[in-house]
Order: sequence, then structure tokens, then C-alpha cells
Amino acid sequence: MNNEVTEAEARLALSSIEQRRQQVIAEIDVPPWYWVSVAGGWVVLGVLADYGPAWATIVGTVIFGAVHSAVAPRVLSGRHASSHLSVHSDLVSRRVPALVIGFLILMTIVTVAFALIANADGARHAAVLASVVVAALVLIGGPRLMDVVRRRAEQRLADS
Amino acid sequence: MTTAKFDEIIHPSTRLSIVALLASTDWADFSFVRDRLGMSDSALSKQFSILEDAGYVTIDRLVTNRRRRVRVCLTDEGRKAFEGHVAALQSVIAIAESVSP
Repeated sequence: MNNEVTEAEARLALSSIEQRRQQVIAEIDVPPWYWVSVAGGWVVLGVLADYGPAWATIVGTVIFGAVHSAVAPRVLSGRHASSHLSVHSDLVSRRVPALVIGFLILMTIVTVAFALIANADGARHAAVLASVVVAALVLIGGPRLMDVVRRRAEQRLADS
Repeated sequence: MTTAKFDEIIHPSTRLSIVALLASTDWADFSFVRDRLGMSDSALSKQFSILEDAGYVTIDRLVTNRRRRVRVCLTDEGRKAFEGHVAALQSVIAIAESVSP
């Protein structure tokens, strides 16, 4: 059969294979509820910091961290955003969880810095203000981060 | 190392598309494959039967939340055949390029 396939047919077949791989790469993501939950948790912690007792902020932060730790291993791989498929590990960088965690650490630093600046400027609810701003950044920046992950996966596919 | 080997079961364009899609997944729902390839249920079922008979895919029928789902997975044998087929296609191109002026 090998001899019956022309170069043009082989190129067409490989092009079709790449197209199908790209359809799966388009599915690399974290579930839509993830960024909403993180942003919501961020605002709740901001509200607790401004209006609640210190122990409530500590307990809230611990619960937030524990819940996140519980769901992160499955959610942050980028392979299970859809309930209709599991993306093969070859297509997704193993660094996606570290990338997302790094993004969240950066957002934590931004929250603290923003709250300190707002507080120094005399804002009455500096923590709430900072958490709302950063929650918006999470909602906007999270999906953009996954766009980058998908583009890198496409690039790796093109290079292979 | 992958051995280049043409696979007559995989080579037809429809089955090549199906296997290429499945090769990029651990598993996929029947509906996902159907929607991405724009095929009818019956046409896709027929192709899956051929691939299942060849030992290239496994088909699991599940019930989750009272909904029936059909989950398809490429077997190790199917993945190996696909990789061999891709290598064979690449070798056709490599040979053509090596003899062209």
C-alpha cells in the first residue's frame, strides 16, 4: 500500500491529522467555574479582612487554601476542562499547574501591594478594594493565561 | 522508536480523522468526535465498529446522572498503529523530497 500513496496524498493526510490535533488543543483549559470561584473567594477574603475579626480572615484563608489544594491537582492540568474528553498528556505542558499557581502568587502580591497603597492613601476599605480589583484581574487574566498555554501547545505541535 | 508501517484500516480519510482525534486524547465522548468531524451517529458508529473489530478502540457505554454516554478510547495497539502510519506518511514525503531536484 505504501507504494500507492503519493506525496500529495501523504501531505494531505498529515495536514488532516494536524487539524484534528488542533481541535483537541483548543480544548486545553481549566473548567470555566475555576476562575469564577477563585475570584469569588478573593473578594470574600477581602471582605473578611475589612469587616471580620482577624481569626475569621485566618480561617477563611486556610479554608480557601485547603479547598484550592484539593481541586487543583485535577483542575490545573488543563486536560479536563470539558466533560467530553480528556486531553492526552503529550499535548499539554506539564508546567501548566506551576504557571497557574505562579499567576495566583503574583495576584496575591498585587493584592497586598494594592491594599497597602490604598490604605496609605486613606481608603476606608482597602482590602475590599484590592480584592475586587484583583478578582477582576483573575477573571480577565486567567483565560488569557490559558490562551498562552494553547498557543504554546500549537507551537510545539508545529515544531514536532 | 516508531516503526513506519502503513495501516490500511486507519488510512481512509474518515477513519484517519477519527483516530487522529482520539490519539490526542486519553478518551473522548462519542458526541465530541461526532461534532468535531460533522458526522452522523450511524456513519460514526459504523467506523467505530470497524476500529473496534480491529482492536484499535474500546467503546464503553456509561450512565452518569441518568444520561447515557458512549466513551471511546484508543487502545495501545491502535495508538501504535497510528504512530506507525504517521511515520509511513512522513517517509513518503521524505523520499519524495530526497529524489526531487
